[in-house]
Amino acid sequence: MTSIHAPTAGRFVGQSIARTEDLRLVTGKGRYVDDVQLKGMLHAAFLRSDVARGRIAKIDTTAAAALPGVHHVLIGADLNPHAGLMIPSLFVDGSFGVVGPIRPLAGDDVRFVGDPIALVIADDRYVAEDACDLIEVDIEPLEPVVDWEHAAASSELVHPEQGTNVNMHMATEPSADLDAALASAASVVRETYYQHRYSTVPMETRGVVASWDAHSQHLEVWQSSQNPHEVRLAMSRTTGVPENRVRVHSGDVGGGFGQKSFCGKEELAVALAAKVLGLTVKWIEDRREDLIAGYHARQARADCMYAFDADHRIVAAGMAHLEDTGAYPLGGGASGPMACMHYPGPYKTPLLEWSSTVVWTNTCGRAAYRAPWQMESVAREQMIEHCARVLGVDPIDLRRINVLHREELPHTNPAGVLIENVSPLETLEAAADQIGYSAFRDEQAGLRADGVYRGIGTCLYIEPSPTALAAYANEPVHIRVQPDGHVDVFLGSGAHGQGLETTTAQLTAEFLGVDFGDVSVHQGDTESTPFGPGTGGSRSGPMIGATVLQAASGLKDKILRIAAHQLEAAVEDLTMEGGVVSVIGTPARTVALSDIATAAYHHSYLLPPGEEAGLEVVNRYMAPETIWSNACHMALVEVDTVTGRVDVLRYVVAEDCGKMINPMIVEGQISGGVVQGLGGVLYEENAYDESGNPLATTFLDYLLPSSTEVPDIEIVHLETPASTLGGFKGCGEGGAIGAPPAIFNAVCDALAPLGVHLTRQPLSPNAVVGALVAAGH
Amino acid sequence: MAERAISVQVNGRARRAVVEPRRTLADFLRDDCGLTGTHLGCEHGVCGACTVLVDGEAVRSCLMLAVGANGHDVTTVEGLTPPDGSLSPVQQAFRECHGLQCGFCTPGFVVSVTALLDEGAELTDEEMRDAISGNLCRCTGYQGIFAAVRRAEELRSVQSNGGTR
Amino acid sequence: MKPAPFDYSAPTTVDEATVILAEHGDEAKPLAGGQSLVPLLALRLARFAHLVDLNDVAELAGVQRENGTLRVGAMTRQRAAERSEEVAAAVPLLARALPLIGHRQIRARGTVGGSIAHADPASELPAVALALDADLEVRSSRGSRTIAAADFLVSMWTTALEPDELLVAVRFPVWGPRSGFAVEEFARRDGDFAIAGAATGVQIDDAGTITRAAIGLFGMGLSSVRAATAETALIGSSVNDADLDDIGRAAVADAEPSDDLHASAAYRRRVGAHLVRVALARSLEEASRG
Repeated sequence: MTSIHAPTAGRFVGQSIARTEDLRLVTGKGRYVDDVQLKGMLHAAFLRSDVARGRIAKIDTTAAAALPGVHHVLIGADLNPHAGLMIPSLFVDGSFGVVGPIRPLAGDDVRFVGDPIALVIADDRYVAEDACDLIEVDIEPLEPVVDWEHAAASSELVHPEQGTNVNMHMATEPSADLDAALASAASVVRETYYQHRYSTVPMETRGVVASWDAHSQHLEVWQSSQNPHEVRLAMSRTTGVPENRVRVHSGDVGGGFGQKSFCGKEELAVALAAKVLGLTVKWIEDRREDLIAGYHARQARADCMYAFDADHRIVAAGMAHLEDTGAYPLGGGASGPMACMHYPGPYKTPLLEWSSTVVWTNTCGRAAYRAPWQMESVAREQMIEHCARVLGVDPIDLRRINVLHREELPHTNPAGVLIENVSPLETLEAAADQIGYSAFRDEQAGLRADGVYRGIGTCLYIEPSPTALAAYANEPVHIRVQPDGHVDVFLGSGAHGQGLETTTAQLTAEFLGVDFGDVSVHQGDTESTPFGPGTGGSRSGPMIGATVLQAASGLKDKILRIAAHQLEAAVEDLTMEGGVVSVIGTPARTVALSDIATAAYHHSYLLPPGEEAGLEVVNRYMAPETIWSNACHMALVEVDTVTGRVDVLRYVVAEDCGKMINPMIVEGQISGGVVQGLGGVLYEENAYDESGNPLATTFLDYLLPSSTEVPDIEIVHLETPASTLGGFKGCGEGGAIGAPPAIFNAVCDALAPLGVHLTRQPLSPNAVVGALVAAGH
Repeated sequence: MAERAISVQVNGRARRAVVEPRRTLADFLRDDCGLTGTHLGCEHGVCGACTVLVDGEAVRSCLMLAVGANGHDVTTVEGLTPPDGSLSPVQQAFRECHGLQCGFCTPGFVVSVTALLDEGAELTDEEMRDAISGNLCRCTGYQGIFAAVRRAEELRSVQSNGGTR
Repeated sequence: MKPAPFDYSAPTTVDEATVILAEHGDEAKPLAGGQSLVPLLALRLARFAHLVDLNDVAELAGVQRENGTLRVGAMTRQRAAERSEEVAAAVPLLARALPLIGHRQIRARGTVGGSIAHADPASELPAVALALDADLEVRSSRGSRTIAAADFLVSMWTTALEPDELLVAVRFPVWGPRSGFAVEEFARRDGDFAIAGAATGVQIDDAGTITRAAIGLFGMGLSSVRAATAETALIGSSVNDADLDDIGRAAVADAEPSDDLHASAAYRRRVGAHLVRVALARSLEEASRG
C-alpha cells in the first residue's frame, strides 16, 4: 500500500523531534578532529607534487630539517618500507577491482599533481609549511595521461606495474535476442552523455591525530571519519599494530558524503609516521589540498541506446560506461558495473547490453560521492527526455508508458537486479501534480513567444541501499539499561550530519518504551562501540531502525518477564511506556524500569527462575536484501539566453523513503542532496588543463552554491514500507541523484525550440551561451 | 620575525598573548584562547565558517591577523551562548528549524545571523538570502537556514517584548 | 594554509607609515582591509618581508565634501562608505558599486583605497574610479602627488605607486543635476568576482541631450577599461533615440577580455555589451527623472 501525505507516526518515531546533537553544535561545543589538543602533539604538512607525472631526480631535505621547530622530514625512502597494505577492507581481496599501488609517500616518481612527496612534522602547522618551502625537489616531467577518453589506448602508463591504464573492464555477452530487437525496433536512439568531475567538498576537510605509545604499544587515533571501525582495521593493516591495540575516536564530523567512508592515504601515512617515530601527530588537510588531492568523483561518459516499438515501449537498452578513477582511487569510487546494472531504473526494459571500463589517469583519485553509481540515473533520465523529443512525445508520457507499476513488483531487471517496494509511478504523478506540470506546458509556448525561455525537467529514479555487502550486511546495536533506568545505546555508525543520536534515541524510546530524554546514544569510539559498518550508502535509517527494533524488542520481553514476576501478573497484561511498566486496566499497579534494572544487576534473587542477570543486549541485524527507496525530482528553470544563466525557479521532490523516523531530518537530507546535485550540474568542477594541472584549487574557482543560488525545495512524502524489519528505508543519497538530470533536462526543455542540444555538464553560463551560439543565437 | 604582545577582549575577557605577526585571528582564538567553536573551512575568506564579531561587526577571522585585533573586541559563538544552559534566540531557531546537520558551518552562521538581526532591518526573502550568502553550508541546502533566520526574528521580537517563548 | 613569516609594523600616522615604506622599499607591503592580501599570503602566492598595517592610522579614514569632489580616505571601510549618506548623495555610482563587493563580512574590513590599490580588473571600485576620472592622492616620505585614475591603474594588480608610496585618499568628482548612474555586473554567484561588469554615468541637458557619459568596464581584461569611444558616440544623442545596443558593442570593442576557467573572451564581450546597455538604460532613466 502506498499512502500519500499520511505517514504513520508513533509517539517518537515519525515525529520531527529537535536534535540532541544541536545543543553542542549551535553553541560551538562540537568536537571535531582539529579541536583535539594533546600534550606534546606535533603538526604535519605534506609537500606535494606540482607535476602530474614525472621522475623524482633529486630531493634534498637538509634545509627543511634544520629549520627551528622542525622535528622530522620524511620522504618515501624513510616511511614506505614500514607500510603494510594501505587499501580499504572491502578491496583487500580484489573482488571489487584493483585499487592500485598505494604507498604513504611517492617513491621514485609522482603520478598526479598533489601526490605527497614528503611529510614534515613540526611544532606547528606554520613552521611545517615553512619547512615544505625549503625542501628541494627536482622532478623530470613525463608525458602525463590526462585525456581519459584515450587513456586505455595510450602507451604512457599511469601505473607501470599494472601494465595497462585500464583498471577494469566488464561487459555483457553479445546477444542475438538484442540484435534482433534492434533490427525490428520502430526507433533506435543513440546519444552520449558526460558527467564532469566534481566532488564531495564537505565543510570540514579531512584530518587525523595519531598517537603511538611505545610502552603500552597502543595506537590511538582521532579522525574525521564516517566509519571508525574501518579506520581501526586500516590503521592496523598499515602500521602492523594488532586491531585490539588500535583505538579510534571519531567525534563530530563536519560532513563526509563518501569522502570519509574509507581511510585515506594521508591519514594512514601520518599514523604510520607517528608509530615509527613514537609521536603524537596531527594533520589537518587544508582546503587547497582538499580540492587538489582530497579525492574527486562523478567523471564518466555514457554511450546510451534505447530502442522502442511503435507504441514507444522500450524493447532494448544499452550503456557503454567509461569512468576515470584518477591515479589512486580510494575504493568505492569505481561504480561502473553497478551503474550499468541499474541503468534500466524504474522502466520495464526487456533487454540490456552494457560495458563498463574504468581507467587510471594522472589526476587525483576518485572516491565515493553520495550515490556513486548515479551516472545511471543521470544518463538514463537525460536520454529518456532526449528520446521523447526525438519521438515527439511528452517526456512524462514516455515515462508513463514504460514505468514499472506496483502490480508488476517484485521485478527482476535484465541485469538480474531484484526491484521491490518502490512506487515510481506514484512519485511521478505526485511530482507532476505538485509542480503543476500540465499548466506549465500550457503556458510554456506563450512565454517563449515573449522571449522567456522556461523549461521543466524530470528525474525518475529508484535507489538501492547496498545493505547485503560484506561488513555492511549486518548492523549492530548494544543497548544497556542502567540501574537508574536510563538507557545507553552504542552504535557501529559514524554519523556526519544525519542526526543519528536523535533518531536512534527516537527508535529506542519507541520500541523499548522509555522516554526520548532517557536515552543516550554513543558512536565513534571503537573501544566502546560494537564493530560496525559506519555511516554511508543511505543505510542508517533502515539498518539501525531494524537492529534497534530487534534489540529493543528482546530487551523489552525480558523487562516484561521480570515485571510480570514482580507484579505477579501475566506478561500479556503488561505495557511499558516512559520507563514504567503497568498492568493494563489497573494503572495503579506499576513497577519502574529502574527497579527492574536494579534487580537485574544487584538483586538477582528477585528475578524469575532461570532469568539471566543484567539488562543489556548486543544485537546484529542481518539485512536480507537490498533496500529500495525512490523519488521523482522535477525542476522548473528559466534560462537567460543572453548570459546563459540558469535560474531554478521551482524544485519539487516527491519521495518515498518508507516509514520516516524523523521527517525533519529526512527533508534535510533530501534538501542537502538536491543542492549538492544543483551545485554539480551548474557550478562545481574539478577542471584540469592538458598537462594535468588542476584549475580549481580554491573556493574562488570551485564554486559551491550559496543561499542565493538555491530555490525553495518542495517535498511531497509517500510511504511504501520496506519489507525489512520496521519498514524503514534509506534516503540520504537521493537528492544528489535526482538534481543533476532534473535540472539538465529542464534546461534542454527550455532551449530545445532554439535548436540547442546539450550532452555535457556543467551547464555554466559560458557553456550555455556556447551552445546557443552554436545553434545560431 | 619578531613576536608581538597583544591584548584582545575576547567574549568580554582580556586575553594577552605574544604572537607571530602572521598568526591569524582564527588560529589565535582556536589555539591560544582554546575557543574551538570558530572553525576553519577554507582559510582564504570564502566559506564564512570562521566568522566572528570584531567590534560588533561580522568578519572573517581567517583574514585578520591576531595582531590586528590588538585593542579590539572580539565575540565568538561561545560569547553569544548564554552561560545558564539555555540557547540564544538565533541558536534556538537553528535547532527548531533544522538549520544544521554536521554543524561545522553553524557557528559562522550563528554569528553572521546574530549580527544581521542586530541591525534591525526588515528583510525581504531576497534580501535575507543575499545577506547570508557570505556563509556556505554543504549539508542543509539552506532550506532549514532560511527558516531559522525567520524564526530567529520571531524569537527575538518575543524576547524584546518581554514575552516568554 | 598559513602565511610565510613577515615582520610587522603598526604605525599610527601617515608620516610614520611612509618612513617605514621608504626604509624597506619593495620588501614592504601596506596592509589595509586584508580581504585581498591575506588570502594571497595564506596561499603563499605572495610573500613580503614586512607588512605595514594601516588600520591604526586614523587620519586615513573618513569622507569629506571638498570643492565639487568627494574625498574618501583610503582606509574608509567599504561598509562605512556603503552606509554613508554623503557618499550616496555626492557619488551615487560609488554608492551603487559598494554593495556589490563580495559579502558584508568582506566589506566590514575591506577599504575603498585598498580595493583600488589592489587593482584587480574584476573589481568594481577601480572601474568606478576610472569611469569618474577620480584622482588618487599619494604620499611618500619624498612628498605628495596626485595621479589620475587612468594613469594609476596600469595592469592587473599593478598600479603607478612606487614601492615607497602610499595611497592616502581618492577624490571622486561630484556630478551635477540631471545625471544618472548604474552598476551592472554578471557573476557566477552572488558576491563573486564579476565575469563582466559595467559602471556607467550619464548627464543630460534640459532638452534630453546627453552631455556627459562615463563607461567603466570590469572583468574585461588585464585592467579596468574606460570605454572612451562608446562614450563619445553617446554624447550628443538624445535620451530617447540613443542606440544602446550599438553603444554596448562599441564599449566592449575597446576591451581585450581574456579566456579563463569561468568564461571565454567571446562570452565576456557578449555579456559585457549587454551589461553596458542595461546600465546605460538605467542611468538615462534616472537622469531623465531629474
